[in-house]
Amino acid sequence: MVFGRSKSSSSTVSPPPAAAASSAAAAACSELRAAYHECFNRWYAEKFAKGQWHKDDCVGEWHKYRACLEEHLEDKNLRQILLESETSAYYAQFDADSSSRKGGTSTK
Amino acid sequence: MVVYTQEHVYRHPWDRVTAAAWRKFTDPASRTALSHVADVHTLHRRVDPEAGRLQAARSITVRSPPLPFILRRLLPAAASSPSGAALCHCVETSLVDAPRRAMDVVVRNVSLRGLIEVEERSTYRPHPERPEEWTQFRQETTIRCRPLSALAAVAEKVETRCAERFLQNSAKGREVVERICRYLEAEAAGAASSAI
Repeated sequence: MVFGRSKSSSSTVSPPPAAAASSAAAAACSELRAAYHECFNRWYAEKFAKGQWHKDDCVGEWHKYRACLEEHLEDKNLRQILLESETSAYYAQFDADSSSRKGGTSTK
Repeated sequence: MVVYTQEHVYRHPWDRVTAAAWRKFTDPASRTALSHVADVHTLHRRVDPEAGRLQAARSITVRSPPLPFILRRLLPAAASSPSGAALCHCVETSLVDAPRRAMDVVVRNVSLRGLIEVEERSTYRPHPERPEEWTQFRQETTIRCRPLSALAAVAEKVETRCAERFLQNSAKGREVVERICRYLEAEAAGAASSAI
């Protein structure tokens, strides 16, 4: 697909306003986030995706990171998701999303 | 409404490609390629150790392309940005079924929904012909502008701009996933040889 539209004035990229929107959470929780993501990435690649899904290695890291987000996340939409995701209503919606996708895998 | 579908075959096994997909937004080396991504947080995760299922939701804060002046005036977030770009929060929900080797990812915008709704659905499956070696990726992006009669013409332009940006970014996203796959491959080879 090719789009003909391009505008010379919009090609100047201004420096990013250092994670403006969720800056408080980003600044306050960056170390806990890094620790969690590092744990998660290793666990997923080396264990979960390779058949060893019987143990979740990153529970401790996750609880610390989540507690930080609960304290510092400012955006109200994101906060709502953070808090709502603990409830079952959130899962119902989530499961509906993924199951509606399971058809239609047969083109070649 | 605009719908795009894209397919790609990764010549890497499913476990490596999905591991790379998780790292896409948090890998420091990808910051330049994915410079429109301002911030990523994990908002939720759940592991079902019996079924081998993992569910997660992440927020992805994205800088939009510069918006037309008339829309800038309507958006408080954009109004404060000198470049005319808006910061837009998206939520990515992922479901991995490890025994089935299936990963499904849905990304939706949560901000600016009064103006535009973007939904990107991706699936990662073992390739039917070489299930142990390759991975098939499919992505469907739907962009829908809300009917704002007074702004219909402008909204249409925004839709096109967003579509352009999304296509550029999903191409970049695939490049990033390819690069992380090569990195993970090298790392696995290194770990294997150093273990001897």
